[in-house]
Parts: sequence; C-alpha cells; structure tokens
Amino acid sequence: MNVLRIALKEMKIVREPRMLVFMLATPVLLILILGTALSNAFNGSTTIGDIRVLYHNNGAEPALTEQWQAFMQEAERSSGMAFEQIEEGMDGGREVRNNQYTGYVEIDGQGIRYEGNSRNSMENGIVQGMLSAFADRYRLSAEAAKIDPEYESKPLVHDGGSYVLESSIQGARQPGSLDYFSIAVTTMIILYSALTAGGLIDSERKRNTAQRLLASPVTKAEIFAGKITGTLAINAVFVIIVVLISKYMFNAYWGENPIMVFLVLFTEILFALSLGLGISYVLKGNAAGAVIMVIIQLAAFFGGGYTPVASTTGIMREAATYSPLHWSNEALLQLIYSGSGSAAMHAMMLNIGFSILLLAVAMISMRRREGL
Amino acid sequence: MNVLEIKGLTKKFGDFIAVDQLSLNIREGEIFGFLGANGAGKSTTINIISSLMPMTKGEVHVLGKNLTKFRKFAKQQIGMVPQEVAIYEDLTAYENVHFFAGLYGLRGSELRSRTEEALTFVGLSDKHKMYPKSFSGGMKRRLNIACAIAHRPKLIIMDEPTVGIDPQSRNYILNSVRKLNEMGSTILYTSHYMEEVEELCTRIAIIDHGKIIAEGTKAQLKAIITDQKDIGIEVQTAAHLEANKLREVAGVKSVEVKENIVHISSDAGVNNLNKIIQQFMAQGIEIRSVQASEPNLETVFLTLTGRSLRD
Repeated sequence: MNVLRIALKEMKIVREPRMLVFMLATPVLLILILGTALSNAFNGSTTIGDIRVLYHNNGAEPALTEQWQAFMQEAERSSGMAFEQIEEGMDGGREVRNNQYTGYVEIDGQGIRYEGNSRNSMENGIVQGMLSAFADRYRLSAEAAKIDPEYESKPLVHDGGSYVLESSIQGARQPGSLDYFSIAVTTMIILYSALTAGGLIDSERKRNTAQRLLASPVTKAEIFAGKITGTLAINAVFVIIVVLISKYMFNAYWGENPIMVFLVLFTEILFALSLGLGISYVLKGNAAGAVIMVIIQLAAFFGGGYTPVASTTGIMREAATYSPLHWSNEALLQLIYSGSGSAAMHAMMLNIGFSILLLAVAMISMRRREGL
Repeated sequence: MNVLEIKGLTKKFGDFIAVDQLSLNIREGEIFGFLGANGAGKSTTINIISSLMPMTKGEVHVLGKNLTKFRKFAKQQIGMVPQEVAIYEDLTAYENVHFFAGLYGLRGSELRSRTEEALTFVGLSDKHKMYPKSFSGGMKRRLNIACAIAHRPKLIIMDEPTVGIDPQSRNYILNSVRKLNEMGSTILYTSHYMEEVEELCTRIAIIDHGKIIAEGTKAQLKAIITDQKDIGIEVQTAAHLEANKLREVAGVKSVEVKENIVHISSDAGVNNLNKIIQQFMAQGIEIRSVQASEPNLETVFLTLTGRSLRD
C-alpha cells in the first residue's frame, strides 16, 4: 500500500510545466520537424542508371551465339540495356572496374562468364538476373535438342515474349519520414527519461524529504519500488499520448499490433529508468548526469535517432548494434512493417535483462548507504 | 513510564566520535530539552533515535521496545520535525500532510480528519489548497510540524524547529509545542537557543562533544552554580574597558562584554559589588544601570564547557 501511495505521489510530477514540455511538446515537435524536413530520404523510389554491357563472343558455339544474339535483341528492346562488343586491345575486366560498363560477358566453348561492377549494385543485379535467366533457357534448349535437334537454335521465347517477366506484387509497406521519426523520436525521448530517473532519489535528498521518508515506517525497498512504479506509470502515459498524437495528427503508421508495440516501448521505459538509477548510485553528484547524457547522445546518434541505421555503413552500422535505441527501433520497424515479432522479443529481453542488472546495482548500493 | 531510554549510545564516523557513551531517559509527558552548541552531537543522536542512521554501539528503547529489533514499531511512535524543512513543493499543504500521515497506516476518513486536524493545529487550514512555494519561511516550518504530528505520535522529536524564522512564527511554534504537550505528547526538543529551552522544557540535558555533561530540571542545572551570582552592568561604552582589571577584583570568576553590557560572574558569597563599581569609575567608564540576575543556562553552559552556546 505504501508503494502505491508513493507511486501516486510521484505521478503528481505532471503538475510541473517543465515535465509536460519535455515529455509531450518536445517529442511532438521533433516528430513534425524531422518528419517534414527529412522527407526526401524516405520517398520509397530509386533511380536506375544506364546499363551498358560489354561482351566478347569467340563464336566457338554457334548455337549459343545464335541464342545470344536473340537475347541481346530482346534485352535491348525490353530493358533498354546496351550491349557493345569488345574491341581489339580492350581489357573487359578493366573497363568494368573503371566503371565504364555495368558488366563484362565472355562467351566461349566453356560457357558464359560474367564480371559485374559492384559499385552499381542495382544495375549489376539486373544484368546478373537476366543472364541467369538466359543461361537457364540455353541449358534447357540444349537438353531439348538431344531429343529434337530443332530446339538447338530456338531461343525458347515465344513471339512477343521477353526475358523480363513483369509481375505486379503488393510490395512491403515502407516507412515514410513521419512514420520513421514517430518511432525514432518516441524511443529517443524515452531514453532521455534516464536523466530524470537519475535524479529520482537525489531529489528526495535535496528536498530533505528523504529524512522524513526514512523516519516513517516505510522501508527503503518500498520507497525505491514506489518511486520506480510511479515514474514508470507516468512515462508510459506520456508515451501513449505521443503515439496517439503521431498516429491521429500526423497519420504515422504504428502497425496492426499495438499491444506488442507498447510492450516494446514500456520495456524501454523500464530500461531508461534503470539506467538513470543505476548510474546515479554508482556515480555521485553531477558526474552521474553527465555520464547519462553522453550515453543517451551516443545511443541516439548511432541508434537511428536522427538518421535511419539502414542508410549507414561501416563503423556507424557496427556501432548501432550496441545502441539500446537501435534494438528498440529495429524491433518496432520489423514489427510494424514486416509483421515479425522476433526482433521485438529480442529487444524486450535485452531491455528487461539490462534493467534487472542496473536495478540490482542500484539496490545493492542503496542498501549499503546510510539514508537513501 | 519512559518513552525513550538510551544506554551507552556511541556513534563514530571513522576516527571521529560524534556521540560518546550517551545515556538518558525521557519520561512520558515531558518536554525534554537537548541543549548544546553546533556540532555537539544533538542531531546525530536525534538521527539515530529516528532510525536515519545506525548506531555504532549502545541501546535505544522506544516505549520499552528495542529500536533495532522493533524498528517499525518505534517509527510508528515517533514524529520527526527535521531541522531543514522537509516538504514537497509540488504538493499542496493538504497533500503533504495527507501523504506523510498515510505512511503511518492511517486510511480513509481517519486519514482525512487527522490531516485537517494537523493543519488546523498549525494554523494552515485556510491555506490547505495552496502550494508551499507561496509560503513564508515560518509557514513552511509550521507545515513541517503538521507533517510530523498528524499520526499523533507518542514522541515528537523537534530538531531546532525555530532556526531562521520570524519572531511571530517562532512564538507560534513555541505555543504549539506547549499545546502538543498538553494534549499528551512527549517532546524531545533540541536547540542551541538557551531562551527557548529554558522557557519550554521541563527537563534539560546539556551535550558537548558527544557527551551529556549535565542533566536535570532548570533548577537542578542552575544549582550547579549556586555559588555564583551574575551581575549585568550597562555602560555608556565598553570600548576602553580593561576587563583583566575587573577579573582581579576578589570573587570575580569571569567577565564577558556584549555590546555595552558587561556580564560578570562572581562568587555568591563575596560581597564585591562596591569594588566592581569602583573599578569602572577608576577606568572612567560611565555606568548606566546595574542588574544582578540569576544564573541562566547560558551561564551553566559557560561554566561547564568554558564556551558560550553560540561559539
């Protein structure tokens, strides 16, 4: 009962205007600003450059040569690819490596070899795909010719047909900028609540109310539990409000599984509170606040708070895996856009696991101290 | 019955001994004064009794039960008015009292009525919906008291409750202490203001360097120095007074000058007033008035410790 009493008292912090500004106004504004200012990074389309393929055919296989000619004509017609025969003295591989061509095809008695330009991954992928389709069809016609020699020179593409089969599919929904930043800002603001959590016990000491609490028939554990419960509850309420505002005012998409979404967010709140408390007990005074701020900033920077992790490479990508913000963002994005709950379970386990560890550190430190 | 019994209480901070083998008993219905200079060990003793810090050695019994073994029971019986104001600025006056009283097990209508009763007692019932940030220092101190008394504790510990407040609020608090005592509470009152302790307390302990150096009623303490008389001589100006020459007068024990009043402690059995006045005349110092007074607790403290209470 005392735990509940202390928790309810803690929730009255909403009366502080600064708290309302920090927990409500700031995230809503950030979502709006980042979501509109960075919308170009999320337009969902991409441009394919010119596809130029260099080739060399020594003519050792006449059937293959005939099929190849048909393939080139069809590819040029349907896909806009350009095929150029290698000239005397040219090194096909070097030309590709120098970014002059998307790929180099060599056709001889051994078969077809392809060297692609890895810098143009999209275009390279298209050429590879089409060559694979061509190779499959040639093998098929070769096998068919063993039964009926007529098939040896048939391209096995009916009139009007194409090596490129266009099919319309319902592609996976991709987040727009407001969608992405609704998630990223919400998780980032949750992490910032570690700062207020760091001052949770310290504020009682500064107000001298720690003395009065400890002089009353309430244990340290009850005080601790009450303050955490109250802060957890009020942060959860704020998060729900921010999610609802982003959903109904900004039309941000939060998926079809709100329960799992809120579970991920609530476990992140628990993690943030635990982080603040744990560090405030290990480090005293202003050092705790500074360290918490550094952790939050790094987690936000590497974890996708300002730019999607998917658009980063190298060390940035590597560092993201260690950011608590990343594992929450990733979990939510997969949950909302792929319907996959495995990353969400992973994130929740990490949040809860680290929370238990940090809270244990805080409780052990508190028990050793005189006073709170 | 003893509401509080302390035996051999010791508290060490490293090598520093803050409370040294302190023993005392407080009977039910007393206003027990704990008098000592800053740093004497009053607050440390109070904090141990209130379970705010552990003792190094010793025993404390509250209403006959060992503090260490029956801590929750002991806490239920004690109302703590800390030296620093301990209230929540973001809760109203009512909510502050209601919250703290609720921690002592009060519920429902009883909690509400006790809360209102406490606020009425300290004169804040008309301000119960206001936030402490709009209160004066004196009002905050009164709210500080209300938070400690709502659950009707058997023992109220007041740690320097009148520090830094206006005289009107101070008088209000002193009157409140008397009323609480009349209503049946036992009060442990610590202060370094001798006048308050002398005015309020039925029994007094003087503490210095963590030890009780004297204990008893005002009369009993003053009897320690019955062989002494205090003379207060108001002069025009004491700037040129040669106090050492006054000390040479037979029977004079100590001379202390405060502004333009010269306080002289002298043997009660020696009739030396004439010689003292002659000394003033010889030094050309004009006397305005002469007053012989009973020794007070300040004098007792000075005699016992060699220092004044406010040193």
